[in-house]
Amino acid sequence: MSSRLNELWLTLRIILENKSSAAGLIIVLAYVLIAIIDFVYPSLIGVHDAYALIPNFSDTVPSPPSPAHIFGTTFPGVDLYQAIMAAIRVDLWYSLLVVLGGMVIGTVVGVFAAYYGGYVDEALMRFTDIFLSIPYLPFAIAIAFFLGRELNNISIALTLVWWPLYARYARGQTLSVKENTYVEAARASGVGTPGILAQHIVPNVLTPIFVQISLDLGTVVQVFAGLVFIGFATGNTLLPELGTLISDGFQYAVTAPWTIFFPGMAILIFAIGMNLLGDGLRDALDPKRRT
Amino acid sequence: MKLRYYILRRLLFVIPTLLGLTIIVFVLIHVQGTTNLIGSYINPRAGNIAGQEHAVIKLLHLNEPLPYQYLYWLWQILHGNWGYTHTGIYSGPVTNAILLFYPNSLVLAIISFILVTLISIPLGVWSAVRRNSLGDHLTRVASFIGYSMPIYWLGLLLILVFASNDVNPVLNILPISGTVSTTLISSASWYSRGISYPTHLLLLDALIHGRLDIFANALEHLVLPVATLTYGTLAGILRVTRSSMQDTLSQDYVRTARAKGLPESVVVKVHARRNALIPVTTLLGYTIASLLGGVVLIETVFNYIGLGYWTTQSFLSNDLGGVMGATVIFGLTFVFANLVVDVAYGFLDPRIRY
Repeated sequence: MSSRLNELWLTLRIILENKSSAAGLIIVLAYVLIAIIDFVYPSLIGVHDAYALIPNFSDTVPSPPSPAHIFGTTFPGVDLYQAIMAAIRVDLWYSLLVVLGGMVIGTVVGVFAAYYGGYVDEALMRFTDIFLSIPYLPFAIAIAFFLGRELNNISIALTLVWWPLYARYARGQTLSVKENTYVEAARASGVGTPGILAQHIVPNVLTPIFVQISLDLGTVVQVFAGLVFIGFATGNTLLPELGTLISDGFQYAVTAPWTIFFPGMAILIFAIGMNLLGDGLRDALDPKRRT
Repeated sequence: MKLRYYILRRLLFVIPTLLGLTIIVFVLIHVQGTTNLIGSYINPRAGNIAGQEHAVIKLLHLNEPLPYQYLYWLWQILHGNWGYTHTGIYSGPVTNAILLFYPNSLVLAIISFILVTLISIPLGVWSAVRRNSLGDHLTRVASFIGYSMPIYWLGLLLILVFASNDVNPVLNILPISGTVSTTLISSASWYSRGISYPTHLLLLDALIHGRLDIFANALEHLVLPVATLTYGTLAGILRVTRSSMQDTLSQDYVRTARAKGLPESVVVKVHARRNALIPVTTLLGYTIASLLGGVVLIETVFNYIGLGYWTTQSFLSNDLGGVMGATVIFGLTFVFANLVVDVAYGFLDPRIRY
């Protein structure tokens, strides 16, 4: 176990040594922290209700940033700072579900395809290709349409759209890992298929997939908010979600540009942080660059 | 393998892909049950709804097992019977709607695709050659932001910049919404409710009817959507071109070429660039996918009447015919675009013909 800890420590050190990946790590940690605080003790960051926007019907017109509302307010009289802080939890949570779900399905399919090879491989990969035959956004729209317009269903739709990419990575990785002598050694010493898969293949396949996840999460947050933006969250207008905030603000944007500027910035900064961290992780886990 | 066998093989491969695509759409439709499917095949103008329902059940064999239903449904799709769509912008047969909305989206996507390729590949090569120069850093930052920015948000920001009449009169030079100026088009008899006739491609129709002013105006309306779509899409190719070019420049054969005294421009253009572009071409398929996805978001933001706009409209008005038709047509476009890219790739790279 201590060797694993050492590995982790080394990775962290490589990330922190590089200024841009360190910045990425700090941004991502800040977002995660906000999401956790939303969950356990929202008033710590001044959020009164992390699950619903608090409207102010006596003054619904957006007002510019001021000491009382540092990001201003948006329709209907919602404090934008609180709304964004609460929305970060929602967007992060659903996007995380997408990449984790995609990772699980993709890894299972990819590892089985590569490990068993032959017809299993051919069948599973052709099945995967079919999912890649429709551009992901129209495809996600169609899935969400048929499942029903709900946030959970957007997550399911995006997972169904995203897993084929992970299946391909997992397959490629398994193909190279399974040829290693340590896998042969394990088989020779009598370890069964489940043991080989669990102890030798999957751990070595997951590392590059984690890198891919970190590179994807920023994009998933954008796409998730985009789907909500074009009209998914119809049932719940007081849902704190960044895409909803952008579309709510849109009708006032010409006179009140802050209503779309700040929610968009929240997505942009997270995506930048995630991409910086992802690039750093990829470099850090690249054996060629580790000593 | 000879080139024509490669192309033939690639063509044959389209068949299972298309079968898979239609199976997915069929399964999705049946997640909801058949009520909406029947509804999408009923023409409300023809009257006798109960009789039509009965006819649809018989036509699609909805009382038989699912595999049979799939075949009968596929038969109808192959014969161009895609049901009806009912949205605020168009109500009628799905295939008609596709004919009406497809051309304008195609223009948007193709212009953006050309711009993406023309900008990102040379810029990526240049950025790798001038590694760590100021230009390289600026390019990387710009592409990084483009990669991280939600494309619809960028569109909204551009609308704000160019729409803020009172704030910034200098920048109020570009139209921010729609496909053409409504006052200009109202005099044209060949245009009605967002759709132009006879080709449904506004730019072409304006030329056919000799209206250069409308042509110019329609072009102006394309500037912001195309700019947004291009900037949002090019970052991916730019990054891959740059890193691939960088890897290639550190290869031994490039060092050899330099060592034997070839001028740097020959090394870059002949030895490095050609090889560096091979991984880039494999990314073009992905670029097409994100362009087609971008079309949906961009058309919605800019109220640009096209396939993407119609898709969101059908989605929001619970219109099964529209969503089904849009999914199939987006899938078809993607499959055939990939086919074209792969065949072109076969011509460019001799190694592909193993």
